[in-house]
Amino acid sequence: MLLIRHLEQQLVDYYLKNKIMSFVHFYVGQEAVAAGICDNLRPDDKVFGNHRSHGHYLAKGGDPLALVSELLGKANGCCHGKGGSMHMIDKSVRFMGSTPILGSVAPIATGSAFASKLLGKDDVTVGFFGDGASEEGIVSESINFAALNKLPLLLVIENNLYSVISKLGDRRSPKHSTKKIVTGLGATYLQADGNNYADVHHHANKAVSLARQGSPVVLECIVYRHMAHSAPIFDDKACYREVDTFEERVKQCPISRLRETIEEKAIMTTAELDALESATIERCKQTIIDASVSPFPQTSELLTDVYAQ
Amino acid sequence: MHNNISFTDAIQQATLQAMEVDPTVFVMGLGVSYANGADGTTKGLKQKFPDRILDTPVSEAAVTGAGVGAAISGMRPIIHHGRVEFALFAIDQIVTQAAKWNYMFGGGNPVPIIFRIAVGRQWGNGPQHTQALYSLFGSVPGLKVVVPSSPASAKGLLAAALKDVNPVVYLEPRWLYGTRENVAEAPYTQDLGSAVTVREGTDLTVVTYGDGLVEALRAERFLRERRISMEIIDLVSLQPIDHAAVLRSVKKTGRLITFDTTNSSFCVGSEIIAKCCQQGLGFFKASPISIACPDVPCPTSTVLSAAFYPTKVDLIRQVYVALGLQEVVAESLSFDYLHLSPKFDFSKNE
Repeated sequence: MLLIRHLEQQLVDYYLKNKIMSFVHFYVGQEAVAAGICDNLRPDDKVFGNHRSHGHYLAKGGDPLALVSELLGKANGCCHGKGGSMHMIDKSVRFMGSTPILGSVAPIATGSAFASKLLGKDDVTVGFFGDGASEEGIVSESINFAALNKLPLLLVIENNLYSVISKLGDRRSPKHSTKKIVTGLGATYLQADGNNYADVHHHANKAVSLARQGSPVVLECIVYRHMAHSAPIFDDKACYREVDTFEERVKQCPISRLRETIEEKAIMTTAELDALESATIERCKQTIIDASVSPFPQTSELLTDVYAQ
Repeated sequence: MHNNISFTDAIQQATLQAMEVDPTVFVMGLGVSYANGADGTTKGLKQKFPDRILDTPVSEAAVTGAGVGAAISGMRPIIHHGRVEFALFAIDQIVTQAAKWNYMFGGGNPVPIIFRIAVGRQWGNGPQHTQALYSLFGSVPGLKVVVPSSPASAKGLLAAALKDVNPVVYLEPRWLYGTRENVAEAPYTQDLGSAVTVREGTDLTVVTYGDGLVEALRAERFLRERRISMEIIDLVSLQPIDHAAVLRSVKKTGRLITFDTTNSSFCVGSEIIAKCCQQGLGFFKASPISIACPDVPCPTSTVLSAAFYPTKVDLIRQVYVALGLQEVVAESLSFDYLHLSPKFDFSKNE
């Protein structure tokens, strides 16, 4: 969680000082969801993400240097510079790809789980997307398909209250119920406090266990997006936020809350936590330096890889 | 050994032969498990492969996307859409996901999937069941787009697609389902990216594909009896297009007619003529000609649909124009010729 948080926070400065031409959606504030879910997965379990997937990628074990290099358009990026921030992939840790078109990842994750079933494997596939994407018809279609075929699938809805800055209340009837939709389609619905690592972890444990038995689950995590939808800035001046004010976000910060728990339970001392945080920040700074001096791809790469060989 | 089989038999045979040797091949789509599944193209396969011939929810987008997800996870799905209009529900998964997957992730991420999509004319089907959106799919890099034009090519191209590691859009002209040909029973493949010279000739080149080939062959026979030598090129592939084959032919004949069975604007013929003019303007002895449907939706009334689709008569007339001849073509076509899908046998050279 510290790596996810500080890598992005270090990138904020770098973005603002340099002309970084990869459209970004920062994950700051939502770290407990990626970590709480992925900490319940086996190495062979598969994860798919969306446009806001730096956290999912890192939580599954993706290489930070390949992430930053991809943002900077470098040859050693996870897509060799062809994807950018919205296309994270590291198949060596079974992070199978992220795609930004809303809802598109739901059927792809479903198909991945379907393949595992057809091939007789016992891995679970997880697909992450947001509350906006969950309104796409293809998501409901995918849940139906997964329930019909009893697939080892976990779909995680990170409900951060906004689609860009459109509020839930502007998009849904007051009677809207994701739980009723999901259960009505024949899948299990669980809900967790996405600002609380322990709560996400607890529900994810149950969800992954059910999914592995061929009972697909939708786990909705209610969480706060600390930064703007798609810029490395805080956007409280835009005045669209209602409950997730700056003060509330600070109070609910998943990393501060996890630190408190760790200190209360005396798992680590304050000094040890500070040291870990400092070391993480240094690691992130060094990763950005390493990425910034990495080579760009050759122009001839423009024309390669349209087709697989 | 060759058997005289139909276009739909050929698709069924290629599917069956692939499924017998490759356990990762499966077919998913509405109605594929029916007794006469998907117009006969999956006939009898459900009994042989109950777990791999899968009827689906009426959810084209999710079913197609699940195919993409399965394809990147070790399977080789065939996704069937009985009308192109239903495939449009799934256009994100075809055009934005499957077609981009390998490129956007920097290579090494193949998507071995086949989108079998039925397109084009069929009696009484009207504006929303007959679109032939060739240029829509053909304009997308990352997809391989093929259009079989006969039973033999239907079998060979599907078999080749089932060995490819890229997403292949296999556009089936429904008009051809009843056509027949002597087809090799043993498995074989036809190259996905190469045009085929179906008839060699010297006076002019006709470039067509899919159900245009039947009309071109009928016109060629008519003209051959009148000592006009027409070269026919079957494009086979719309992405990539084998422009070199067209250029070689036009260099020889100096005249070019393209024949499409879809709307004129942005038709494949426009692309052929554009590229040919850019690369071989000096070869032309006459202006190139594009024959295609008018830029209106396909109507249902037989009186209107007869005027909508170009026929061999339109092609013959334009051949005379290209050759500067003042011939009058008096031939009139029967109701059955205009409105019922042809029982044309490619092996009989009708």
